[in-house]
Amino acid sequence: MLETQNLRAGYGHITVLWDLSLTFREGALTAIVGPNGAGKTTLLRALTGLIPYEGRILLGGQPLAGRKTWDLAAQGLVMVPEGRLVFRDMSVEENLCLGAYPKRCRGDVSAGLDRVYALFPRLRERRTQAAGSLSGGEAQMVAMGRGLMSQPKILLIDEPSLGLAPVIVNEVFSIIARLKEAGTTILLVEQNTRVALSVADDVHLLRGGQVRLSAPAADIALDRLHDLYFAREAETA
Amino acid sequence: MTDLVLQALFSGLLVGSVYALVALGLALSFGAMRIINLAHGELVLLAAYCAYVVEGRLGLDPYLAIPLALLVVSAVCAVLFLMIDRIREHRELNSLILTFGVGIILTNAILLIFASDARTTASATLQDATSVGPVYAMNGEVVAFGVSLALMVALWWWLKTSWYGRAVRAVSSNRAAAKLMGISPVRTELVSFLVAGALASFAGVALYTMSVVQPALGHALTVKAFIVTVLAGVGSIPGVFLAAILLGVTEALTVTLASSALQELAGMVLFLLVLFLLPNGLFGARARRG
Repeated sequence: MLETQNLRAGYGHITVLWDLSLTFREGALTAIVGPNGAGKTTLLRALTGLIPYEGRILLGGQPLAGRKTWDLAAQGLVMVPEGRLVFRDMSVEENLCLGAYPKRCRGDVSAGLDRVYALFPRLRERRTQAAGSLSGGEAQMVAMGRGLMSQPKILLIDEPSLGLAPVIVNEVFSIIARLKEAGTTILLVEQNTRVALSVADDVHLLRGGQVRLSAPAADIALDRLHDLYFAREAETA
Repeated sequence: MTDLVLQALFSGLLVGSVYALVALGLALSFGAMRIINLAHGELVLLAAYCAYVVEGRLGLDPYLAIPLALLVVSAVCAVLFLMIDRIREHRELNSLILTFGVGIILTNAILLIFASDARTTASATLQDATSVGPVYAMNGEVVAFGVSLALMVALWWWLKTSWYGRAVRAVSSNRAAAKLMGISPVRTELVSFLVAGALASFAGVALYTMSVVQPALGHALTVKAFIVTVLAGVGSIPGVFLAAILLGVTEALTVTLASSALQELAGMVLFLLVLFLLPNGLFGARARRG
């Protein structure tokens, strides 16, 4: 189980997250939804140790303070960043191979590649092409495929639907659902609340760096979520 | 006259391959660490003097100096890396000052120990000439050229296929994304620095066995490596190789057709011309400017 206690993080003097206390159940798919600037990506960056934070982050009850991003990734806390964070001057296949950099993943790189190409046939066509020359959606697929190569135990996904055609969005979400079936704990940051809700077990709604709603996905009506999302009424949750 | 020009082209090609090794070392540490190691030429010089010690003082074959050079240069690289790693703020700028200072210290240390005399190999075998068609080369030059080519292929292979090599490229390409792949950037920087040092070691021994070395050479080599890097415009190994040969040939033609006093000037003029006419280098993408 992954947990934050009074998490406060930001950039320089700007605080983005205010005393966030959240729990993410093991083996569950938790969707983090909210409008632009709510602090969703910042939360993922703090969880992976990319930015400094105050408060505590606990993984299986153990505080993560001081743990480096690369150590966490090597142990299976893997983040799929937005597509801009691909290695632009390396080929698609080299990008994917780098996903298998942690020592425990190096054994079956070619099997991993086959799996990713089966999921995203487009990437097989473009495997020798520089990742910087791909469209936004294709770069997103590279980021996703690279994350899968890391054989994540906990997978943090940042806006997987961004820039993807609706058909491919559905494919990506079916992949995410299958990963969950396989026992991976997933944190999904998504602006598209409808698709997010369709696969999530739990939902946290962030706005202005604070939690506005935490509930099982089954208990949430989309209308209510949208009201909170756009701050159309005083919060009562 | 044609023979002279052909000879200059050939000599330029041979020495250019060693310039390429020096420039690739500079480019490698710049790629991963985003710092320009102004002491890189002095690392090459250090290796050259290792060869001098082994041959001139111990009376052994200068190529036996390679392990010694690797050891000495790696040690200096490691110390230099630890110093750079301690810089907390404005690393790009502060590391320039730091490495510039270290370069001066190394040059003067060599001057103090070995005096300012020019040194070169005394081996008759290495100084013997081989003819290749109408042109001639010292055996030492031919060996240096072969070794340089082999090292460039090895470097390319390492960067392409080994996990450490891929990590170096990943960190050079996107630091944040590399961290997310489980790559430790500091360890990768150290690896890139040590590989740059290894290239400098070979380049130094090569220079001693094919040409003349003296304590002031380090700084000149750093400048040459810098010129080559800007000429190439991209970090690709073939690009750096071609740019280095262009510099070597320009220098050799200047010496043949004008005067050896103008050798360094020729490189600078070439450098300025490229900066004015092709600011992205000979092989850089035209679109990426500023």
